[in-house]
Amino acid sequence: MMEKVILIRYSEMHLKGQNRKIFEKIFMKNLKLALGDIPYTLVQIKGRYLLENFNSQDSNKIVEKVKRVFGTHSISVATKVKSDIDIIFQCIQTYLKEYCLTKQTFKIQTNRADKSFPLNSMQISSTLGGMVLKNFKNLAVDVHNPDYLINIDMRENGFTFISYATIAGAGGLPVGSSGKGLLLLSGGIDSPVAGHMIAKRGMEIFCIHFHSYPYTNLQARQKVEQLAKLLSTYTGKIQLYLINVTDIQEQIHKLCPSEMMITILRRFMIAIADKLAKQIGIQTLITGENLGQVASQTIEGITSSNAVTSLPVLRPLIGFDKEEIIARARAIGSFEISILPYEDCCTVFLPKHPLIKPKLAEVERAEKKLDIEKLILAAFENMEVVEFKL
Amino acid sequence: MQIIYLDNAATTIPDSKATEQAMEFIQDKFYNPSAIYRQGIFVHTALDNAREGMLQFLDANRTHNFIFTSCGTESNNQVFQFAVKSNKNIVVNLGEHPSVYNIAKHLEQKGYEVRYAKLARSGAVDLEHLLSLVDDKTTLVSVMHINNETGAINNIDRIAHLVRDKTKNHRCYVHVDGVQAFAKITYNLSENIDFYTVSAHKIGGLKGVGGTYYKKNIPFTPFIYGGGQEMGLRSGTENVFGNMQFFYATSNRMANLKQCWQNVVDCKSYIQEYLEKELFKILYVQNNSPYILTISAVGLRGEVLLHMLEEEGVLCSTGSACSSNAKYKYSRIIQATSLKNPEIEGVLRLSFGYKTTLAECKQATEKLNSCAKKLKAKLL
Repeated sequence: MMEKVILIRYSEMHLKGQNRKIFEKIFMKNLKLALGDIPYTLVQIKGRYLLENFNSQDSNKIVEKVKRVFGTHSISVATKVKSDIDIIFQCIQTYLKEYCLTKQTFKIQTNRADKSFPLNSMQISSTLGGMVLKNFKNLAVDVHNPDYLINIDMRENGFTFISYATIAGAGGLPVGSSGKGLLLLSGGIDSPVAGHMIAKRGMEIFCIHFHSYPYTNLQARQKVEQLAKLLSTYTGKIQLYLINVTDIQEQIHKLCPSEMMITILRRFMIAIADKLAKQIGIQTLITGENLGQVASQTIEGITSSNAVTSLPVLRPLIGFDKEEIIARARAIGSFEISILPYEDCCTVFLPKHPLIKPKLAEVERAEKKLDIEKLILAAFENMEVVEFKL
Repeated sequence: MQIIYLDNAATTIPDSKATEQAMEFIQDKFYNPSAIYRQGIFVHTALDNAREGMLQFLDANRTHNFIFTSCGTESNNQVFQFAVKSNKNIVVNLGEHPSVYNIAKHLEQKGYEVRYAKLARSGAVDLEHLLSLVDDKTTLVSVMHINNETGAINNIDRIAHLVRDKTKNHRCYVHVDGVQAFAKITYNLSENIDFYTVSAHKIGGLKGVGGTYYKKNIPFTPFIYGGGQEMGLRSGTENVFGNMQFFYATSNRMANLKQCWQNVVDCKSYIQEYLEKELFKILYVQNNSPYILTISAVGLRGEVLLHMLEEEGVLCSTGSACSSNAKYKYSRIIQATSLKNPEIEGVLRLSFGYKTTLAECKQATEKLNSCAKKLKAKLL
């Protein structure tokens, strides 16, 4: 009897001492959410999870889904057999016959949890290695850099898992184990990366997006929805709050100095995000801000926008270079979406020379002409919510 | 909300009468035209008759052949792939549709020589400049019949004649992208034009159907290989329903071409007359298609205005997009006509079709005026 199973190893959670149980519970829940209605059974064995009883044609799909769940350290698709040298060899033989046709090297690595088995791990490896060499003239041993690494994992219950490759998982901590954060999601390259990084540390992510329809178009909105949807494939689900700031931009344009447009708009965004977060019980804001990247991301710019919130603002990209951010965006798959040529906040109102070092007092004075409370309330009234789920 | 559709140069409402006429070909006459039993042969004959009909519409039976393709883009690509030769050159112009311009760019990247003629301020091809680029190594000259963004009509018969004259001693093909003119204006295909490419969905046909008129005796070659359909020039089992519907739609357009022409002339002149002069500038007036009206709300942004009109139920298109990236911001074609940036920024294209009514245009004019006024007030 040879049965396919999937071994899922988790990262870091073993470090959490007394809280480990809570983390494991959340991780299990997230795995189940990611796997949706694919049939399987999932059990926890020592230090890992074992996924069994699935249709073998689903195995790639399962690996792809599990890979993205934060907390997953690595995954192996393995064959489960009785702990018997001949049966184990048979299984290896079937595999090698199918895949190793040319001159190649291999290594057998054994982990023996079942101490009652007559051979120790070194002896198991060398016995099986000998059998392979005898039967496959095209294969040679290479213990340092083998083409095929064959893992033998002999468990206590009389079963052995044989696997040939270990697939790296997303790492991090399970989403939901580190509180809730509200990500300011623009259509750009940075904010999805920032959201991904914080989600990876276990935070549940909500998104807020500001648009200025009809000054921006529907494609720009679809692009943001695509980004939120992409994030949801890592986090399980995303709620996206859409806020129209056209009226606010028009008022700033009419009543405030043009070079302060961005600074003041940015303050509105943070204030709105702050209000929304508090309303729905979110503990922090997350932005893709990056020191010095654009005029509003100088320390003076950040100071002026930070002044309108009492929540902590997480800025995971603050010290990154643009290339580093782009590399991460490519890796998570957001880059191609982010570079679609639709503007998020229309450039119609943007001044040629924005203030690079706004002084907080001056900005606050300029803002006095606006009915801030009323504008924020009006923006809230037209808020839309879209939810994306795996 | 009632929709006033003024984007007929992008696509048109499918002609329901033609759809009904062609319906039998997706019902009981579904057979493969290549089948050799009589049901198949019936369908094959129907397609051949439609092909003959397509030639008749342009009075080209004597001089040209016609093949159905999957779209205008495919038709244009096939001509270019056929006519390009190493160590020779091809001449296009800056006003061409992407389906011509980008295949030319692609061939240029592959090492072929491509020459680009300028546009005149009228939006038409600068004829003098075009002719100066044609020499004894030119194997293809491509000029569109009616420009899809400016509406300018190129005098293609004259251009073809002059090119012929200049290339008397060697083989140089003349290609005309006729997508915005076909079955919209009265035209008989000139002998001097080797290829004339058309598209179904601009005249009440379906998306995914196009065609190529090509001169008899040209050793034209396929772009798609396979079972040898369309005289071996466009393999792939025929889109029988689409092709037949295209034929019927063309037939319906041709039957009242003059009335339709007069109607769009009235529509266009009404809008031109009643748009407020301090809000809009009419662009490309000289020798222009009545099916296309290009205007500019100078100083305002076309796309913003477009979305405001959309909210009012008026659908049209623009020559500038909300993008700070120069590559996407302004239309390449509009830029080639030497307008100033604030003019380009405010470009809107209104385009009319066989279904457009004067009453719709009257309403649209009001909405254009009111939206532009509103936007201007917000920004000042």
